[in-house]
Amino acid sequence: MTDMTASGASAPVRKHATSLLAQDARTKRRNAAETRFKIYGLIAVGIGLTFLAVLLSSIVYNGVRGFQQTFVTLEVELLAAKLDKKGERNIDDIKKVSTFGYAPLIDTAMQNAVAKIGYDSPFEKAKEYRPLLSASVPAQVRNYVIANPDMIGETVEFRVLAASRVDGYLKGRVTRDSIARDKNIDAAHLDITDALHDEGVLKKTFNWDFVTGADASESRAEQAGIGVSMIGSFFMMLVVLGLSLPIGVAASIYLEEFAPQNRFTDLIEVNISNLAAVPSIVFGILGLAMFIQFAHLPQSAPLVGGLVLTLMTLPTIIISTRASLKAVPPSIRDAALGVGASKMQTVFHHVLPLAAPGILTGTIIGLAQALGETAPLLLIGMVGFIASNYPEGLVDGFVSPNSAMPAQIFEWAKRADPAYYERAWAGIIILLLFLVTMNAIAIILRRRFERRW
Amino acid sequence: MFDTERAKRDVGMNDIKVAARNVQVYYGDNHAIKDVDVDIEDKTVTAFIGPSGCGKSTFLRCLNRMNDTIDVARIEGEIRLDGEDIYDAKVDPVQLRAKVGMVFQKPNPFPKSIYDNVAYGPRIHGLAKTKADLDVIVEKSLRRGAIWDEVKDRLSEPGTGLSGGQQQRLCIARAVATEPEVLLMDEPCSALDPIATSQVEDLIDELRTNYSVVIVTHSMQQAARVSQKTAFFHLGNLVEFGETGQIFTNPQDPRTESYISGRIG
Repeated sequence: MTDMTASGASAPVRKHATSLLAQDARTKRRNAAETRFKIYGLIAVGIGLTFLAVLLSSIVYNGVRGFQQTFVTLEVELLAAKLDKKGERNIDDIKKVSTFGYAPLIDTAMQNAVAKIGYDSPFEKAKEYRPLLSASVPAQVRNYVIANPDMIGETVEFRVLAASRVDGYLKGRVTRDSIARDKNIDAAHLDITDALHDEGVLKKTFNWDFVTGADASESRAEQAGIGVSMIGSFFMMLVVLGLSLPIGVAASIYLEEFAPQNRFTDLIEVNISNLAAVPSIVFGILGLAMFIQFAHLPQSAPLVGGLVLTLMTLPTIIISTRASLKAVPPSIRDAALGVGASKMQTVFHHVLPLAAPGILTGTIIGLAQALGETAPLLLIGMVGFIASNYPEGLVDGFVSPNSAMPAQIFEWAKRADPAYYERAWAGIIILLLFLVTMNAIAIILRRRFERRW
Repeated sequence: MFDTERAKRDVGMNDIKVAARNVQVYYGDNHAIKDVDVDIEDKTVTAFIGPSGCGKSTFLRCLNRMNDTIDVARIEGEIRLDGEDIYDAKVDPVQLRAKVGMVFQKPNPFPKSIYDNVAYGPRIHGLAKTKADLDVIVEKSLRRGAIWDEVKDRLSEPGTGLSGGQQQRLCIARAVATEPEVLLMDEPCSALDPIATSQVEDLIDELRTNYSVVIVTHSMQQAARVSQKTAFFHLGNLVEFGETGQIFTNPQDPRTESYISGRIG
């Protein structure tokens, strides 16, 4: 017994070097592992930041050009002989003159503009100048004349869009080599463009019409804008916010605070989590079947888009709302119940206000997700080219066919004309601005309303 | 060993406020409270002591039906408040909790102003008709909570900004604002420092003049200091219940003796 005690339970043997100033091998290995791990982390963060920088700079580099457009200042003589043959200034007669009737006036105006700067033009006929200008110009002049019939017979200065090839030439997208086989434009037009640009008749400026305008046909890239689909997105977001916030919050409060814990509520819980992971296109086809084919709601309408996106956003809102309700400490519930508050008073007076910042943040993140969603919109007909008309009034905004920003961007990106490519990038910039704004609001709300307890 | 002077001095016969008979509590399959019979007197401080997990807090929460909020909890037996069965189907726990107030282990003021903390109970129970009435109730409650002098100049400041001891006294003021008849306290001093603890203990002694107070505590010294009656719980059983002086000086059950002398716990 005494031997055992002496050998087994004696003072522990000291294996380590006793000096604290010298590192032993094990400590060295551990420190090295830690250093390595930190380096891996830094590399990972670095790669991530590099990708982000590349992404942002390429978006800005490609997109900025989309906000600029080439305009020509043109003096058009509104010949009474062509536009109002009877001379009665009867608006119905004036309206009978189609854009084809205006085209020659504009051709002449362009010829005069070139002559005015003293450029020695190789073109004989006025019609040969037509490729320099956008095909939208006759319509622009006609609209002006119909609005101001008194101006017939006068010479009026217009700021008109240059053709997209001309615009592309000034932006470097179109070169003399690239137009070698282009039937729309030839080198002589580019010479005229250079001359007009030097004289300031033809200028590249910021294009508000891109931000406010409607989509245009494939051949008129210079005219297309994202404004109408922005309105479509706006009305959709109204629907999503108006439906998903109350439904989502009510459902979460019920599930979190009132529902009994049983198999059925467990099943609901699991399925809500699963729904959050369902691909958005599934919601799209569901919306097509339910809202359009079954309920006969109008096709391509922001109302339907909003309903589909509501279905998509609900799980996000419910999950974040439940998380923020769970995060309210039980002591607050106890306190309220302890002074005799009913369950509903406890929830609405104490728990909900404390959970509000989290709920708002979740809602805004859900909205931001919905704002960027494309696939389900394509299935219910909210494709980009639909966004060609402004809605007339509030109700029309919900039910008239429209598109949304991401669908518009998708539409532009798939069009053949490279002029649309830069517009897709510019559209992305606008979309990102909206998303950044929404996320910033979410952060501000969270900071401002976050309370300590 | 224990200062039971106050307890000895104050023992007297009072009316029975709460009578529990044959109470069983189950958490799912776990039989947490077994066969508890206890009579809680009016205008008396009753202490529940016992080791952790012995069921004293569980039993306390039965007295104002706070266990209702736990889905798996099941209560059997009978608890009568002034002769009325509080587990009767006709009883609305909300009304019961207005009569049986509660103070919790961790000070839990609402993240609202000091005034609103106290005024919340009277507001939801409609105890004040006018703002002036409410002001009176708030002041009276804060005075009873022995915190009026410290907060009277900053009633609009958040209750969460007070120190721990002040928060707990604010919670007591909040609990008495609804004019309860019984005040349940679940380890009210366990999160407080000795100075705050002694303030709260003095307050409990004062509250005895108006209320029947039931306090759960881990500190046997505290039980000895503030209570007139003591109940010792062990493993879900009520082992011994009697006058505090007797429990601490002459326990009848060997388990009680082991516990108060520090051998189990």
